[in-house]
Amino acid sequence: MRLSLLALPLALAATAALAHGPTPQKVSQSITIKASPDAVWKVAGDFAGIGQWHPDIAKAEGKGGNGEGGSRTLTLKNGGTLTEGLDEWKADARSYSYRMSGEPDLKALPVSSYSATFTVSPEGDGAKVEWMGRFYRGDTGNEPPDNLSDDAGREAMNRFFSDGLKGLKAAAEGGKRTQ
Amino acid sequence: MSWPLLAAILFALSGAPALAGTVWVASQQGARLSRIEAGTVADAAAVPSAPATVAAGGGLLFLSHPDGHAITVAEAATGRVLRRLPYAGQVFGLAASADGRTVFATDWSGHRVDRIAAADGRVEGSAPTGRDPAHLVLDRTGRLFVADRESRQVSVIDAARMERVATIPVGEAPFALALDPAEARLYVGNVRSNSLTVIDTTALKAVATVPAGAMPYGVAVSPDGARVLVTNQGAGTVTALDAASLAIAATIGVGRYPEGIVVAGEGGAARAYVANWFSDDVSVIDLTSLKAVARLPVAEGPRSLAVASEGGR
Repeated sequence: MRLSLLALPLALAATAALAHGPTPQKVSQSITIKASPDAVWKVAGDFAGIGQWHPDIAKAEGKGGNGEGGSRTLTLKNGGTLTEGLDEWKADARSYSYRMSGEPDLKALPVSSYSATFTVSPEGDGAKVEWMGRFYRGDTGNEPPDNLSDDAGREAMNRFFSDGLKGLKAAAEGGKRTQ
Repeated sequence: MSWPLLAAILFALSGAPALAGTVWVASQQGARLSRIEAGTVADAAAVPSAPATVAAGGGLLFLSHPDGHAITVAEAATGRVLRRLPYAGQVFGLAASADGRTVFATDWSGHRVDRIAAADGRVEGSAPTGRDPAHLVLDRTGRLFVADRESRQVSVIDAARMERVATIPVGEAPFALALDPAEARLYVGNVRSNSLTVIDTTALKAVATVPAGAMPYGVAVSPDGARVLVTNQGAGTVTALDAASLAIAATIGVGRYPEGIVVAGEGGAARAYVANWFSDDVSVIDLTSLKAVARLPVAEGPRSLAVASEGGR
């Protein structure tokens, strides 16, 4: 009647970097920009236009436009590739939400999945840009190696967001696109 | 223990759903249990690190620690930690029997569900599930419904025999599920297809799949069964669907990255409580007006809630 735990193959304890794990982690970066929120949104609001201001991205290609179902494929300068799909894109709120939609590429980011929200809002005379998300480490099993741990994922995601926001600030304040 | 005796212990006390009880929320990063009563955070208790989910039964609370190889048992009246049950796997979803003597746990990377004695953590039985089993619910007849996230299905398991009796195809990446008060229907949120699947629990078949919102991560049903509430993590909203027509009756703004949702109270006092994982608070929704009426700050990273019945039975 009872199934012993011993009968379960021990191999089941190990998990490859698959799609999702049970313990999500937070990532959050923000920056203030000396430009109007509308001007910043004009630069940053186009989902597939990220390649024009994010310094870590070599190439960005979009499909389906700015709406639910739209997607972008990013080729990073480190050689990795990320495919992301839009869940929501709201021009009136200057905000969009998206998630990783393709297979994980640990070379691009050491994470197995993520979702994120990008928002431009007024702050003083200028704008504040918030980029926040939820990710799962590269190895979602119980004993991840250091390079696929929560800490490694947090560092890489925060760096990717932070680099992007610095690039956006330069592009929006400089009045020209840097990439 | 013979199985008829075990079944008696498990199910004879499976009474009415715990509606008029105490709401507890578990914060993953903050490692705390917070008790919400009369619209305020009344109490908080420290727990071991990174609790992912919480379940209630028989005056006890159970917390899963996927990275900690453990289930924590706490007192539902106070949140005080009673003991740690070691768990040989990556425990995620929990469901407790009404008497609190048994807790069922999914092993995310072991692709199975275990029946565990709450007293000492002994595994009494196991059943295979699909890949990456997430949340699960136990009905009053002793069936477990498990959301098999990476198998796009719900596994139905006879909890007394710990045998799988059915698998029901649903949408992409099912994660959370909820029974209606009559237990005639099971609602399943599909994270990747942004939809809700409705399962007939007698026929054990999906009868409808309808749009819900961006990334449905939590599901609850109103005490009268008329509304289905879904948290949309990608949108920061809760959608309230009409159970009869399955049309969206309202979209309610909550905090950032809402995940778990429960309903407590009855009639005009019925409220939904939503764990906003990123904004570190709980939204309270009035189920008559379908409006958010409060935001209550809690410890960092609230993900999961449970309703503990009064008196502890």
